[in-house]
Amino acid sequence: MTINLFQDPISSYRESDTDDDLDNEIAELERKLAAAKAKRCKHPRSRLEGDDSSSSSSPEQPLLAPNSALPLGSFAFSSGLESYLAHGHKSNPYHPHTSFAAFLPLSISSYASTTLPFVLSAHRDPSLSNLVELDDAQDASIICTVGRRASVAQGRALLGIWERSFSQSLPPLGSSVITAAQRGDLKAFGLLVKRGSSKEIPDASAHLAPLFGAICSVVGLSLQQTAYIFLFGHVKALVSAAVRAGMFGPYQAQKILAGETVQELITEMIKREWGTKVERAGQNVPVMDLWFGRHEVLYSRIFNS
Amino acid sequence: MNSPFPKSTSVPGQGHLVAKLLPEGISGLETFTYQYPLKLISPSRPSEDESVLVFLLSYGGGLVAGDKVNLKVDVRAKAKLTIVTQGHTKVFTSTSPDIVTRQDMHVHIASEGALCLLPDPVQPFAGSVYEQTQIFRLEEDASICLLDWVTRGRTARGENWSFVRWVGRNEIWVIPAAQEDGKTDSRERLLVRDAVILDSNRSHPELAKLRDSMHGVGIVGTLLLRGPLMKSLGDFFLAEFAALPRLGARDFRSDAAKQAAALAQATPREKWRAERLVMENNSKLLWSAANVRGCVVVKFGAPEVEDGRLWIGSMLQEEGSISHHFGDHALMCVR
Repeated sequence: MTINLFQDPISSYRESDTDDDLDNEIAELERKLAAAKAKRCKHPRSRLEGDDSSSSSSPEQPLLAPNSALPLGSFAFSSGLESYLAHGHKSNPYHPHTSFAAFLPLSISSYASTTLPFVLSAHRDPSLSNLVELDDAQDASIICTVGRRASVAQGRALLGIWERSFSQSLPPLGSSVITAAQRGDLKAFGLLVKRGSSKEIPDASAHLAPLFGAICSVVGLSLQQTAYIFLFGHVKALVSAAVRAGMFGPYQAQKILAGETVQELITEMIKREWGTKVERAGQNVPVMDLWFGRHEVLYSRIFNS
Repeated sequence: MNSPFPKSTSVPGQGHLVAKLLPEGISGLETFTYQYPLKLISPSRPSEDESVLVFLLSYGGGLVAGDKVNLKVDVRAKAKLTIVTQGHTKVFTSTSPDIVTRQDMHVHIASEGALCLLPDPVQPFAGSVYEQTQIFRLEEDASICLLDWVTRGRTARGENWSFVRWVGRNEIWVIPAAQEDGKTDSRERLLVRDAVILDSNRSHPELAKLRDSMHGVGIVGTLLLRGPLMKSLGDFFLAEFAALPRLGARDFRSDAAKQAAALAQATPREKWRAERLVMENNSKLLWSAANVRGCVVVKFGAPEVEDGRLWIGSMLQEEGSISHHFGDHALMCVR
């Protein structure tokens, strides 16, 4: 398994003269680097991508996945933030103030408890059958229209990026850790998504979380990295939504992203959900469902969620 | 068959209910067993009503720490069953966070059968630990109306989401109809999984305390609807949700002009809606409705428990399907 290679690097390779062996050695060193990074991630105090001074020699995938230019369309979604702002009002004694500092931890916690188990499970087993099952279970558990729209739109965008970009720029079979079966599974999943769209309940919807887990697993990111990048992506989208909603400026946004609070929160959330089965995932901030669902009744909207 | 003294099973907290269509065309109970701390009561004259009524009770009016209730319900083809409670289901304080009070319900509804489960809310006391799992397996034409709601606790004693943990999970599955030869033709499919996890344990100091994360809401509820009998009610909730006034829209009319416009509204439905919207606004009740894979999921929350009850009761009565299909007794907990 790919993941095992990353987490327990084998140091049995010795110098050799043939080109093939040299290639193998390079690949192995890259794996070791990734494994070392993965270990680094497991330490609670560690900083992940932020202080990566050796990024020039690192595999590109860990940097591609959290890349802001990744066309997931995340900018179109505020994950309930816009609705939260609209619902907080001076006339409401129970919710008189709105602040990003209050919303952010709740949002991370809620997002982690509802969706992170799907990412983790897909990463642990990115096979077609598991991916389809997770996608279906996620489709059944997102109980509001707006949330479903956001999850599917981003999931389909990710599938598109995989099909059009990542899968084509991967190293040729044989020289990489990605097996033909894994590529085939994602391709088959893509076909299933396209085929099922006409049914009342499609066979596959392409929700973001399971696909994200599966693709990160296939390109060789560790479980911890994948989970971190997934939640960090959520925070980035939220912060950028807050900037566009006029809550604060871009410098404050970068300060939040670089801050220890976000890092600690994400790490704690990953720890909390590490062993959560997808059947046990659920909403831990019930008002979040209300804000999310009521995004549709906002008079003016700048976001899709 | 409908003896007032039904026989009891021997496993604590276990119960089994089977509702079937009697030859006279009304619904009745075929099996009716329970064991302490679970208690079931069915009024003896079921014939006047559209559905057979069962009270789901517990001895002493609540569940003490460590109680495990496990109710199995079968609704046979074309039968209609209504389950209600008498007063809040109290969950008493647990002496240790490891001692979990559980209520599980496994329901199977055969083709054209229907279940209406509109109980009182669960009221978890400070320090209680509660988990509830309700799994509904419906054949293709079966119907379900399910309300699951929980309150902040005993406000008179200052409780405000003061329990240790409350977990509620509801699943609706669609299953292939039982075949003559006992084989099934396709796999079961999960339609909706609605899970709420309220945990006082914060994994990071930046996370709001449970009571703060509730944002002043004192009751949260979920209504799940599925099946041909609930089609009209589901559409009603979706239509009313779509008809909500846009949040943040400005109304420049004077109060008098608004009132005049409200009075000029012709249909009783529109008048009712205008009154309901005033009520929603005054009680700060928030709700949303969505169609999830052929089920309608309604979520609501309100600062005051009674406002939540009034609201859901008003919605269900105005539409009328529940009374029509299950009889007025189905609504007794939401009035």
